Amino acid sequence: MTDIRLLPDDDDEMIGGLRSLYAAPSGDSYWNELESRIMARVADVELGWWTELDRWVRPAIAAAAVLLLAAGVAMFRAHQTEGDIAVDNMLSSPSVPVSTAIRPSLQDDREARIRYLFGCSAQEPSCSAQNNKR
Amino acid sequence: MDTGVVSTAAAATYEPSFGMTSSSDARADERALVIAAQRGSSEAFAALVRLHQRRAYAVCRAIVLTHEDAEDAVQEGFLHAFKALDRFLPDQPFGAWLFRIMANASLDLVRRRKVRDADELPETIPMAFRDPGESDELRRRLNMALTKLTDRQRSVIVLHDVEGFTHGEIGEMLGIPEGTARSDLHHARAALRRMLKDVRSDL
Repeated sequence: MTDIRLLPDDDDEMIGGLRSLYAAPSGDSYWNELESRIMARVADVELGWWTELDRWVRPAIAAAAVLLLAAGVAMFRAHQTEGDIAVDNMLSSPSVPVSTAIRPSLQDDREARIRYLFGCSAQEPSCSAQNNKR
Repeated sequence: MDTGVVSTAAAATYEPSFGMTSSSDARADERALVIAAQRGSSEAFAALVRLHQRRAYAVCRAIVLTHEDAEDAVQEGFLHAFKALDRFLPDQPFGAWLFRIMANASLDLVRRRKVRDADELPETIPMAFRDPGESDELRRRLNMALTKLTDRQRSVIVLHDVEGFTHGEIGEMLGIPEGTARSDLHHARAALRRMLKDVRSDL
Protein backbone atom coordinates (compact mmCIF):
# COMPACT_ATOMS: atom_id res chain seq x y z
CA MET A 1 0.00 0.00 0.00
CA THR A 2 1.38 3.35 -0.94
CA ASP A 3 0.94 6.39 1.28
CA ILE A 4 1.42 8.89 -1.47
CA ARG A 5 -2.30 9.28 -2.06
CA LEU A 6 -2.70 10.09 1.62
CA LEU A 7 -0.30 12.98 1.55
CA PRO A 8 -1.65 16.33 0.50
CA ASP A 9 -0.08 17.81 -2.58
CA ASP A 10 -2.13 20.96 -2.45
CA ASP A 11 -3.92 23.08 0.09
CA ASP A 12 -7.35 21.62 -0.63
CA GLU A 13 -6.25 18.19 0.38
CA MET A 14 -4.44 19.52 3.41
CA ILE A 15 -7.45 21.54 4.48
CA GLY A 16 -9.65 18.50 3.97
CA GLY A 17 -7.33 16.59 6.26
CA LEU A 18 -7.45 19.34 8.85
CA ARG A 19 -11.23 19.45 8.75
CA SER A 20 -11.40 15.74 9.28
CA LEU A 21 -8.93 16.02 12.15
CA TYR A 22 -10.73 18.85 13.87
CA ALA A 23 -14.26 17.73 13.22
CA ALA A 24 -16.47 18.41 16.21
CA PRO A 25 -18.16 15.41 17.80
CA SER A 26 -21.34 14.55 15.99
CA GLY A 27 -24.59 13.53 17.58
CA ASP A 28 -27.05 15.56 19.57
CA SER A 29 -26.56 13.45 22.68
CA TYR A 30 -22.98 14.67 23.03
CA TRP A 31 -24.01 18.32 22.81
CA ASN A 32 -26.97 17.86 25.13
CA GLU A 33 -24.65 16.31 27.66
CA LEU A 34 -22.10 19.12 27.30
CA GLU A 35 -24.85 21.70 27.72
CA SER A 36 -25.99 19.92 30.89
CA ARG A 37 -22.47 20.00 32.29
CA ILE A 38 -22.09 23.69 31.49
CA MET A 39 -25.41 24.55 33.08
CA ALA A 40 -24.58 22.46 36.15
CA ARG A 41 -21.45 24.55 36.66
CA VAL A 42 -23.41 27.74 36.07
CA ALA A 43 -25.94 26.61 38.68
CA ASP A 44 -23.10 26.07 41.15
CA VAL A 45 -22.02 29.65 40.60
CA GLU A 46 -25.59 30.91 40.92
CA LEU A 47 -26.13 29.09 44.20
CA GLY A 48 -22.82 30.04 45.75
CA TRP A 49 -22.86 32.38 48.77
CA TRP A 50 -20.40 34.64 46.97
CA THR A 51 -23.02 35.35 44.30
CA GLU A 52 -25.38 36.56 47.00
CA LEU A 53 -22.53 38.55 48.49
CA ASP A 54 -21.66 39.94 45.10
CA ARG A 55 -25.26 41.02 44.64
CA TRP A 56 -25.07 43.04 47.86
CA VAL A 57 -21.70 44.63 47.27
CA ARG A 58 -22.95 47.65 45.30
CA PRO A 59 -25.88 48.49 47.59
CA ALA A 60 -23.59 48.05 50.58
CA ILE A 61 -21.00 50.42 49.14
CA ALA A 62 -23.72 52.98 48.35
CA ALA A 63 -25.17 52.67 51.86
CA ALA A 64 -21.73 53.04 53.44
CA ALA A 65 -21.07 56.16 51.35
CA VAL A 66 -24.40 57.68 52.40
CA LEU A 67 -23.70 56.88 56.06
CA LEU A 68 -20.23 58.41 55.87
CA LEU A 69 -21.65 61.52 54.26
CA ALA A 70 -24.37 61.81 56.92
CA ALA A 71 -21.84 61.29 59.71
CA GLY A 72 -19.58 63.94 58.20
CA VAL A 73 -22.43 66.46 57.95
CA ALA A 74 -23.53 65.70 61.53
CA MET A 75 -20.01 66.15 62.87
CA PHE A 76 -19.59 69.40 60.99
CA ARG A 77 -22.89 70.75 62.33
CA ALA A 78 -22.08 69.69 65.90
CA HIS A 79 -18.72 71.38 65.72
CA GLN A 80 -20.27 74.52 64.30
CA THR A 81 -22.94 74.62 67.03
CA GLU A 82 -20.34 74.21 69.76
CA GLY A 83 -18.40 77.12 68.37
CA ASP A 84 -21.51 79.29 68.12
CA ILE A 85 -22.47 78.54 71.71
CA ALA A 86 -18.99 79.33 72.96
CA VAL A 87 -18.94 82.65 71.13
CA ASP A 88 -22.46 83.53 72.35
CA ASN A 89 -21.54 82.72 75.95
CA MET A 90 -18.43 84.77 75.81
CA LEU A 91 -20.14 87.81 74.33
CA SER A 92 -23.44 87.80 76.21
CA SER A 93 -22.73 86.98 79.88
CA PRO A 94 -19.20 87.22 81.19
CA SER A 95 -19.12 84.89 84.19
CA VAL A 96 -15.72 86.04 85.44
CA PRO A 97 -15.40 89.54 87.06
CA VAL A 98 -13.38 91.89 85.00
CA SER A 99 -11.16 92.75 87.96
CA THR A 100 -9.89 89.18 88.29
CA ALA A 101 -9.60 88.75 84.64
CA ILE A 102 -7.06 91.55 84.48
CA ARG A 103 -3.77 90.74 86.15
CA PRO A 104 -2.73 93.43 88.65
CA SER A 105 0.21 95.31 87.38
CA LEU A 106 3.39 95.03 89.46
CA GLN A 107 5.14 98.10 90.72
CA ASP A 108 8.53 97.10 89.63
CA ASP A 109 10.68 94.10 88.88
CA ARG A 110 12.17 93.90 92.31
CA GLU A 111 8.82 93.61 94.04
CA ALA A 112 7.80 90.98 91.56
CA ARG A 113 10.85 88.86 92.30
CA ILE A 114 10.27 89.09 96.06
CA ARG A 115 6.68 88.11 95.67
CA TYR A 116 7.71 85.18 93.59
CA LEU A 117 10.34 83.99 96.10
CA PHE A 118 8.08 84.25 99.15
CA GLY A 119 4.99 83.13 97.39
CA CYS A 120 2.77 85.83 98.77
CA SER A 121 0.41 88.16 97.08
CA ALA A 122 0.21 91.96 97.20
CA GLN A 123 -3.13 91.84 99.03
CA GLU A 124 -1.72 90.06 102.12
CA PRO A 125 -0.77 92.61 104.82
CA SER A 126 1.74 90.29 106.55
CA CYS A 127 3.60 89.80 103.42
CA SER A 128 3.71 93.51 102.74
CA ALA A 129 5.06 94.07 106.28
CA GLN A 130 7.81 91.50 105.77
CA ASN A 131 8.75 93.10 102.58
CA ASN A 132 8.93 96.52 104.17
CA LYS A 133 11.22 95.20 106.95
CA ARG A 134 13.67 93.96 104.40
CA MET B 1 -40.24 37.35 32.40
CA ASP B 2 -41.93 37.40 29.02
CA THR B 3 -38.86 38.21 26.98
CA GLY B 4 -36.98 35.24 28.31
CA VAL B 5 -39.81 32.79 27.80
CA VAL B 6 -40.46 33.87 24.22
CA SER B 7 -36.80 33.90 23.36
CA THR B 8 -36.12 30.54 24.95
CA ALA B 9 -38.85 29.06 22.85
CA ALA B 10 -37.37 30.71 19.79
CA ALA B 11 -33.91 29.45 20.66
CA ALA B 12 -35.13 25.91 20.88
CA THR B 13 -35.97 25.97 17.19
CA TYR B 14 -33.23 28.30 16.01
CA GLU B 15 -30.01 26.78 14.74
CA PRO B 16 -27.37 29.33 13.82
CA SER B 17 -25.26 28.83 10.76
CA PHE B 18 -21.55 28.57 11.49
CA GLY B 19 -20.71 31.67 9.51
CA MET B 20 -22.69 33.98 11.84
CA THR B 21 -26.24 34.09 10.62
CA SER B 22 -27.36 37.01 8.51
CA SER B 23 -30.97 36.72 9.64
CA SER B 24 -32.07 39.79 11.53
CA ASP B 25 -34.74 37.72 13.28
CA ALA B 26 -32.12 35.42 14.63
CA ARG B 27 -30.10 38.38 15.87
CA ALA B 28 -33.14 39.85 17.54
CA ASP B 29 -33.84 36.52 19.18
CA GLU B 30 -30.28 36.30 20.37
CA ARG B 31 -30.39 39.84 21.72
CA ALA B 32 -33.60 39.05 23.58
CA LEU B 33 -31.97 35.94 25.01
CA VAL B 34 -28.98 37.94 26.17
CA ILE B 35 -31.20 40.51 27.87
CA ALA B 36 -33.25 37.79 29.54
CA ALA B 37 -30.08 36.04 30.70
CA GLN B 38 -28.78 39.33 32.08
CA ARG B 39 -32.00 39.63 34.07
CA GLY B 40 -31.30 36.26 35.63
CA SER B 41 -33.08 33.75 33.39
CA SER B 42 -31.03 30.57 33.42
CA GLU B 43 -33.27 29.15 30.67
CA ALA B 44 -32.20 32.01 28.43
CA PHE B 45 -28.55 31.38 29.23
CA ALA B 46 -29.05 27.67 28.50
CA ALA B 47 -30.50 28.64 25.14
CA LEU B 48 -27.42 30.77 24.44
CA VAL B 49 -25.23 27.81 25.37
CA ARG B 50 -27.25 25.64 23.00
CA LEU B 51 -26.86 28.19 20.20
CA HIS B 52 -23.14 28.70 20.51
CA GLN B 53 -21.57 25.62 22.06
CA ARG B 54 -20.55 23.94 18.79
CA ARG B 55 -18.85 27.02 17.48
CA ALA B 56 -17.33 27.69 20.90
CA TYR B 57 -15.98 24.14 20.93
CA ALA B 58 -14.45 24.70 17.49
CA VAL B 59 -12.67 27.86 18.68
CA CYS B 60 -11.32 26.12 21.76
CA ARG B 61 -10.37 23.02 19.83
CA ALA B 62 -8.32 25.12 17.43
CA ILE B 63 -6.25 26.48 20.29
CA VAL B 64 -5.81 23.54 22.66
CA LEU B 65 -4.26 20.22 21.72
CA THR B 66 -6.85 17.70 22.72
CA HIS B 67 -10.58 17.17 22.63
CA GLU B 68 -10.66 16.86 26.42
CA ASP B 69 -8.92 20.20 26.87
CA ALA B 70 -11.34 21.77 24.40
CA GLU B 71 -14.27 20.50 26.48
CA ASP B 72 -12.71 21.95 29.64
CA ALA B 73 -12.06 25.27 27.90
CA VAL B 74 -15.64 25.45 26.60
CA GLN B 75 -17.01 24.93 30.10
CA GLU B 76 -14.62 27.47 31.59
CA GLY B 77 -15.44 29.91 28.82
CA PHE B 78 -19.19 29.69 29.35
CA LEU B 79 -18.67 30.09 33.07
CA HIS B 80 -16.61 33.24 32.50
CA ALA B 81 -19.24 34.51 30.08
CA PHE B 82 -21.99 33.91 32.63
CA LYS B 83 -20.08 35.82 35.29
CA ALA B 84 -19.29 38.69 32.91
CA LEU B 85 -22.74 38.84 31.33
CA ASP B 86 -23.65 42.01 33.24
CA ARG B 87 -20.85 43.85 31.48
CA PHE B 88 -21.89 42.77 27.97
CA LEU B 89 -23.74 45.35 25.88
CA PRO B 90 -26.63 43.58 24.14
CA ASP B 91 -26.21 45.69 21.00
CA GLN B 92 -22.81 44.12 20.36
CA PRO B 93 -22.54 40.78 18.55
CA PHE B 94 -22.73 38.16 21.30
CA GLY B 95 -20.84 35.54 19.30
CA ALA B 96 -17.74 37.68 18.82
CA TRP B 97 -17.70 38.52 22.54
CA LEU B 98 -18.21 34.91 23.53
CA PHE B 99 -15.52 33.58 21.20
CA ARG B 100 -12.99 36.02 22.60
CA ILE B 101 -13.77 34.64 26.04
CA MET B 102 -13.45 31.10 24.68
CA ALA B 103 -10.10 31.92 23.09
CA ASN B 104 -8.84 33.42 26.35
CA ALA B 105 -10.03 30.40 28.34
CA SER B 106 -8.23 28.13 25.86
CA LEU B 107 -5.02 30.16 25.95
CA ASP B 108 -5.11 30.07 29.76
CA LEU B 109 -5.51 26.33 29.66
CA VAL B 110 -2.62 25.94 27.22
CA ARG B 111 -0.42 28.04 29.54
CA ARG B 112 -1.40 25.97 32.55
CA ARG B 113 -0.71 22.75 30.66
CA LYS B 114 2.72 24.01 29.67
CA VAL B 115 3.60 24.80 33.27
CA ARG B 116 2.32 21.40 34.40
CA ASP B 117 4.02 19.50 31.60
CA ALA B 118 7.33 21.24 32.18
CA ASP B 119 8.04 18.72 34.95
CA GLU B 120 6.65 15.73 33.14
CA LEU B 121 7.87 14.04 29.99
CA PRO B 122 4.86 13.21 27.87
CA GLU B 123 4.70 9.53 27.09
CA THR B 124 2.63 10.12 24.00
CA ILE B 125 2.03 12.99 21.65
CA PRO B 126 -1.43 14.39 22.31
CA MET B 127 -3.79 13.31 19.59
CA ALA B 128 -6.92 14.97 18.36
CA PHE B 129 -10.37 13.68 19.14
CA ARG B 130 -11.32 10.74 16.98
CA ASP B 131 -14.55 8.98 16.48
CA PRO B 132 -14.08 5.29 17.31
CA GLY B 133 -13.09 3.28 14.28
CA GLU B 134 -12.08 6.31 12.27
CA SER B 135 -8.38 6.42 11.73
CA ASP B 136 -6.16 6.96 8.78
CA GLU B 137 -2.61 7.75 7.93
CA LEU B 138 -3.20 11.29 6.73
CA ARG B 139 -4.81 12.27 9.99
CA ARG B 140 -2.03 10.74 12.00
CA ARG B 141 0.68 12.49 10.01
CA LEU B 142 -1.15 15.74 9.83
CA ASN B 143 -1.61 15.62 13.57
CA MET B 144 2.09 15.00 14.04
CA ALA B 145 2.93 17.87 11.73
CA LEU B 146 0.56 20.17 13.60
CA THR B 147 2.37 19.53 16.86
CA LYS B 148 5.52 20.93 15.21
CA LEU B 149 3.85 24.28 14.54
CA THR B 150 3.83 26.98 17.15
CA ASP B 151 0.64 27.19 19.21
CA ARG B 152 -0.38 30.38 17.49
CA GLN B 153 0.31 29.11 13.98
CA ARG B 154 -1.74 25.99 14.66
CA SER B 155 -4.60 28.04 16.09
CA VAL B 156 -4.59 30.43 13.17
CA ILE B 157 -4.59 27.77 10.47
CA VAL B 158 -7.39 25.81 12.14
CA LEU B 159 -9.50 28.87 12.85
CA HIS B 160 -9.09 30.09 9.28
CA ASP B 161 -8.99 26.98 7.14
CA VAL B 162 -11.26 24.75 9.19
CA GLU B 163 -13.64 27.11 10.96
CA GLY B 164 -13.73 29.88 8.37
CA PHE B 165 -12.97 32.84 10.60
CA THR B 166 -11.51 35.91 8.92
CA HIS B 167 -8.03 37.20 9.69
CA GLY B 168 -9.57 40.12 11.57
CA GLU B 169 -11.76 37.85 13.72
CA ILE B 170 -8.81 35.60 14.46
CA GLY B 171 -6.65 38.56 15.38
CA GLU B 172 -9.33 39.83 17.73
CA MET B 173 -9.77 36.44 19.37
CA LEU B 174 -6.08 35.77 19.85
CA GLY B 175 -5.16 39.35 20.68
CA ILE B 176 -2.84 39.81 17.70
CA PRO B 177 -2.92 42.25 14.78
CA GLU B 178 -4.74 41.14 11.64
CA GLY B 179 -1.48 41.25 9.67
CA THR B 180 0.16 38.91 12.15
CA ALA B 181 -2.73 36.45 11.78
CA ARG B 182 -2.31 36.66 8.01
CA SER B 183 1.42 36.01 8.14
CA ASP B 184 0.98 33.21 10.72
CA LEU B 185 -1.44 31.52 8.35
CA HIS B 186 1.02 31.79 5.49
CA HIS B 187 3.88 30.35 7.55
CA ALA B 188 1.70 27.61 9.02
CA ARG B 189 0.55 26.45 5.60
CA ALA B 190 4.08 26.50 4.26
CA ALA B 191 5.39 24.58 7.28
CA LEU B 192 2.66 21.94 7.00
CA ARG B 193 3.30 21.46 3.29
CA ARG B 194 7.01 21.11 3.94
CA MET B 195 6.60 18.66 6.79
CA LEU B 196 4.16 16.50 4.93
CA LYS B 197 6.48 16.47 1.93
CA ASP B 198 9.33 15.37 4.23
CA VAL B 199 7.23 12.48 5.45
CA ARG B 200 6.56 11.40 1.87
CA SER B 201 10.24 11.51 0.94
CA ASP B 202 11.03 9.29 3.93
CA LEU B 203 8.73 6.55 2.72
